[in-house]
Amino acid sequence: MPAFLLYLVHTLFPPDTRQPTELGADFMILVTGIGIVFILTRYQKWRWLWREWLTTVDHKRIAIMYLIAAIAMLFRGGVDALMLRTNLALPNVRPIGALEYNEVFTTHGTIMIFFMAMPFIFALFNAVIPLQIGSRDVAFPRLNAMSYWLFAFGAILFNISFVIGGSPNAGWTGYPPLTEVAFNPGPGESYYFLSLLIAGIGTTITGINFLVTIIRMRAPGMTLMRMPMFVWSVLTTSALIIFAFPPLTVALALSLLDRTFGSSFFTLGHGGMPMMYVNLFWLFGHPEVYIVILPAFGIFSEVVPTFSKKRLFGYTTMVISLVSIMFLAYGTWVHHFFTMGAGPTVNAFFGLSTMLIAIPTGVKIFNWIFTMWGGRIRITVAMLYQMAFIPTFVVGGATGIMLSVVPADYQLHNSYWVVAHFHNVLIGGTVFGLLSGLYYWWPKMFGFILNERQGKVAFWLFVIGFWVTFLPQYLLGLEGMTRRMYTYPFGFGWHELNLISTLGAFIMGAGFLALVYNIVWSLRYGERDLTGDPWNGRTLEWSLPSPAPEYNFARIPVVHGVDEFWAMKESGDTLANHLRPQDVKTLELPKNTGMPFMLGLSFFVGGFGMTFLWWPIAIFGGLGVVACLLYAAFDYNDKKHLPADVIRHTERSWGRLQA
Amino acid sequence: MSEGMSEHSEIEAVEPGLEFLRPKFEVEGFPWAQVMGYVFSLLLTFAALLLVVYHAMPPILLLAVILALALGQAGLQLGVFMHLREGRGTAWQLLPLGLAFFIAFALIGTSIWIMLFKTGVS
Repeated sequence: MPAFLLYLVHTLFPPDTRQPTELGADFMILVTGIGIVFILTRYQKWRWLWREWLTTVDHKRIAIMYLIAAIAMLFRGGVDALMLRTNLALPNVRPIGALEYNEVFTTHGTIMIFFMAMPFIFALFNAVIPLQIGSRDVAFPRLNAMSYWLFAFGAILFNISFVIGGSPNAGWTGYPPLTEVAFNPGPGESYYFLSLLIAGIGTTITGINFLVTIIRMRAPGMTLMRMPMFVWSVLTTSALIIFAFPPLTVALALSLLDRTFGSSFFTLGHGGMPMMYVNLFWLFGHPEVYIVILPAFGIFSEVVPTFSKKRLFGYTTMVISLVSIMFLAYGTWVHHFFTMGAGPTVNAFFGLSTMLIAIPTGVKIFNWIFTMWGGRIRITVAMLYQMAFIPTFVVGGATGIMLSVVPADYQLHNSYWVVAHFHNVLIGGTVFGLLSGLYYWWPKMFGFILNERQGKVAFWLFVIGFWVTFLPQYLLGLEGMTRRMYTYPFGFGWHELNLISTLGAFIMGAGFLALVYNIVWSLRYGERDLTGDPWNGRTLEWSLPSPAPEYNFARIPVVHGVDEFWAMKESGDTLANHLRPQDVKTLELPKNTGMPFMLGLSFFVGGFGMTFLWWPIAIFGGLGVVACLLYAAFDYNDKKHLPADVIRHTERSWGRLQA
Repeated sequence: MSEGMSEHSEIEAVEPGLEFLRPKFEVEGFPWAQVMGYVFSLLLTFAALLLVVYHAMPPILLLAVILALALGQAGLQLGVFMHLREGRGTAWQLLPLGLAFFIAFALIGTSIWIMLFKTGVS
């Protein structure tokens, strides 16, 4: 028995994880965990947690859970970033060693893309899309909950790698042969493959769910060309997800087979082809960057008209450019590995296709500027992020065009110049967009407004910190600093720029703290949104109370044009002032279910078993998955009725029902 | 009783256009097609795996055979599980299907083109 325990401790906590930072993290997790359990038990909230949240199929609640996860992961990824920057602040001063540095940049990248940006966009999908298209829910509410729990348990599986068994350390791309079991023993890379596979299933399902929702569930009269631009962006994003995630799934699954069962798809020996992994990964990876940027484009297309008090300039060209970006996104992936040397023809083709994407993107930038032109602009936090986005994203896009020039790429590849470029577009584009959307839709999600003054402090810290961090990195790249270095000697002329960059990273960290303070403060003292329309909005979600009731619309609106709610307000004919009691019908709503949570848990148990090659546990988890799916297939009792009287009562309490 | 009836008739149907999503358990029998489709998918998969694991034939022939098995598998999936044979008025599922084929062939074709460099340099 003690031998067994010894084996367990040695496997779960191998010597190289017994570092001060990781023991500190272990301790923090333990304390936080005990704290949460204590509070839930003390205030008898377990039943509430299970009934109201863990089993919910309501898209608005799923949105909130995605958002909480995204902000938590932004914290984790941000702490990783600060560790990386601290290590590079001064030459030869390295608080963390090479191995741990590899682990930290791997988890930083993976978490920020898969477990921060993705849930953040899904939070806004869920919070906004059904309301904007005048629908009571998404097409498949249970699948929606499944998506969330697969994502959540994938994220947990990835995050525990830091404290149990050892983190992945081959970069967020996980290229072979570095991920081969011969060169990278231990559970780290298996954690990476399994958690991304599990979360990837959830993401694919979300893509399908929202594509179907947008195509089939729009309110009567809402033709495709009357959809709000955010809905268009989600439609194109969903299409990208559906076609982009399968290559990733294939690449990860085959790599996992190589590691676990000794196959040789991507191995160096036995006829494997490591570069095929790279090809498949970027077949997913390039559409992925558009998956995270297109929703941001959609958010800006909502924020700009609202705060400029003008219709979006060039609606049709906006749609055309979204759809052409969607198509072009599939045709550029080789620019991530020009230096593989596929030959001049291949590289020239993909260089040109990359440059082409700048055209529709430029159209969008100009359309936003023309929307603001001559508008009555209100400088809110959401609008500030948009105004910071335009110059930032233009710089990021321009440096991207420079990278698409193949000979230049051969010089810049793998340098800090690339690091600066992709942070420029991912933070300047995606994160600014998501934060803009956060401030814009927060009242609709939670029923109160985030304090604007505090929000502006967070904004300035974040944006100034961003430029101080990443502008020096362009110069460092030109001076020859390569990415993923864990330290550097004195005398290369790199130390001043690195110190400035680290300083900027801490300013961004302060911006994050200000954001969290803003949320916590506003939760207690923030202005309540009693009208449901705090920004004088233009689209249907603002026609509902904040937060929207479980059924969203007591009566489904009929849509006559773009900016339907604006037209309603112009004509004085809002949803509320002509809802008569006899218009309200008893509604059929999806019933809460514990199945999605149990399915996620089963995947987690199975994934954990496979990570450590403990087959009984893996098989147990797999059986759990099958059991959950069988239960879901034969559970016919999945609907509940919401009586008309309850709806009438709710609407009357909002003053939205005519006598 | 009549109260309950009237309440029931007040229930709004599922979203217009989504009526087909309602399961029709009464009219449809046991889903033999799906069960057999599942079994045949597994058979085709294991046939391909075993042929490769045991090097059952010369490489070129092996490639041809597993390609044929893959095409059979794809047809089976599309026909049995992907609702290709079900028409509901307009056959507009053909549009995304065409798009899927286009993207799949474009991606596979260009991937082969990209990876051909190995024959060029080695």
